[in-house]
Amino acid sequence: MRTPRSLSRLGRRTTLGLLGASAGAGLTAPFIRPSFAEPAWPEQTTIPDILKGSGEVRIATFGGTMQETQQKAYFEPFEKISGIKVRAFPGSDPTKIKAMVETGNVEWDLAQLSRGSIMNLQKRGDYFEKIDYDLVDAGVDKAYRFEYGLEMLVWAQVLGYRTDAFKGAKPSGWADFWDTKKFPGDRAMYGTGSGGWPELEFALLAAGVPADKLYPLDLEKGFASYDKIKKDIVKWWDTGAVPVQMLTDREVTMTTVWNGRMAALQAAGVPAAISWSQGLLKRDAWGIPKGAKNKLNAQKFVAYSTMAIPQARVSLGIPYGSVNDASNEYIPPERLEILPSAPKIKAQLVTYNYDWWIDNRDTVVNRFNKWLLG
Amino acid sequence: MIPLLLAAPLLLYMLVFYALPVLAMLLKGFGEQHWTLAHYASLADDPVFLKTFWNTLSTAALVTLGTLLLGYPVALALVRTRGVTAAIILVVILLPFWTSVLVRSYAWMVLMGRHGLINEALLAAGLIERPLRILNTSLATVIAMIHILLPYMILPIANALRQIDPSLARAASGLGASPFQAFRQVVLPLSVPGVAAGVLLVFVLSLGFYITPAMVGGPRDITLSMLIAQQVDQLNWAYAACLSTVLLATSLALIAAFQRLPGIGNAFRMNTR
Repeated sequence: MRTPRSLSRLGRRTTLGLLGASAGAGLTAPFIRPSFAEPAWPEQTTIPDILKGSGEVRIATFGGTMQETQQKAYFEPFEKISGIKVRAFPGSDPTKIKAMVETGNVEWDLAQLSRGSIMNLQKRGDYFEKIDYDLVDAGVDKAYRFEYGLEMLVWAQVLGYRTDAFKGAKPSGWADFWDTKKFPGDRAMYGTGSGGWPELEFALLAAGVPADKLYPLDLEKGFASYDKIKKDIVKWWDTGAVPVQMLTDREVTMTTVWNGRMAALQAAGVPAAISWSQGLLKRDAWGIPKGAKNKLNAQKFVAYSTMAIPQARVSLGIPYGSVNDASNEYIPPERLEILPSAPKIKAQLVTYNYDWWIDNRDTVVNRFNKWLLG
Repeated sequence: MIPLLLAAPLLLYMLVFYALPVLAMLLKGFGEQHWTLAHYASLADDPVFLKTFWNTLSTAALVTLGTLLLGYPVALALVRTRGVTAAIILVVILLPFWTSVLVRSYAWMVLMGRHGLINEALLAAGLIERPLRILNTSLATVIAMIHILLPYMILPIANALRQIDPSLARAASGLGASPFQAFRQVVLPLSVPGVAAGVLLVFVLSLGFYITPAMVGGPRDITLSMLIAQQVDQLNWAYAACLSTVLLATSLALIAAFQRLPGIGNAFRMNTR
């Protein structure tokens, strides 16, 4: 999974890429403005001296609202408290890192990616620096740490639906998504368009595989289940803006979607809701491209941004969860309730297994392509 | 010698910014670490490639046919009118030409959507009972691409028509030909080089389309450029390079073939005397 909040995916490979980014942003911007009307955010007033420094750190993000939130949540505060200047760039992308490292022209010191895309690239060569865990806050759970990156944002891939489509009935879980008699209307699901990883988990859950027996994914069963929904899928989406637009335009009654996008859609007044049940709990991760000029500053920023307060500040700006256990103290209970990391919600979600996907992505994507065109 | 010097800046520019990158890309198709023909060899029985390639070619053919049928009469109208009318026709043709492909694709989404203008109008008129699926189908891709590519068909044809000596058509009617006969036997054959140029332009441009099919196309309408983009993102750069080479070779082959067509090749050949 990549670029959950990126708006700039559409055409970056073509000369029209820039137009793509701006028009895409224009289309969705009104829906995804975070609310900054929250009470004062907590401030990180001290940091260990070892995190202070000088110079700059160049950070690639997924842009859009996410970067706006990050700016306020930890880029600006880090500059003030550490003395290290932050320069943020939208458009983080593992293919760009591959090209940068291979040509020895590394323009980013740090990039927002996912464990999957970091390890998938690392499998093909040496593209990332190891994380210096001596600097990292003890509150960051072991589950979020790996050698070449540190997870820094918790989010969910969920079922989103039009509340006005089913006469008040509420779909819950993937069996309902697959049931087009009970819940009529077209569907959209995440495809393999821009480096995406198909939602085989949802196909298997729809076929009745229990959540705790999901991995290793059973491909035969998964694609057999996909067969049943294929004709109802009008779009295999590849950028986060698409499912939101399709729900808004009533092109579909149900879609898979990233939870942050849904919050923005609801805030814009579209009658749509999330069914958290059987959603996938995913994470974004920081990775330091191999040979980055300011890699020491990047290490410091990775450590700072995963401390309890900077993490809590992100959750206050955009409904994504924290990787630091201590963050919850700084988040009001009513806010905590709508985050994917909230205990009540998290219990309904299935934790995405990046390790399985790192080993099997190529096989699954090839098979998916064949299945789709076959 | 002097003409060569005049062309040198552009040649150098093309070499550095076009030829070398293209060459580097072509080489990637032979493996990223060591030399291999495996990627090319596997294309022949790669169902994903074959299906995608066929999709790309058939879409390009349909779009070319559509632009030709719709564009020829417009070109004729453009040439046969004068003054304000001609100016208006030209603006109508060029206005979409100056609008970004992306904006136009969004416009098609507004028009063709389930609850878009076309469906709402048909529903209101009582012609259909429930909205048709137009958006997110192959038809939508073809409609939107025809719209985008029409100027590339109209302008070369209009150009060819404009170069036909008007006295030829007058001579034909003077010799007893009906207006239709004069058109069919005099104007149409003389405009063929323009038609060929338009067909080639539209077909080759269609082959590379990416944004429009991705935005308004059906769930299975994967074009070669979409597959290339996907494979770049999946980090299979050798395979992507190999697919790009196929796309490039297809375009070059088409251009070469058109140049060899009798009576048409002249349209592409420069007068070097």
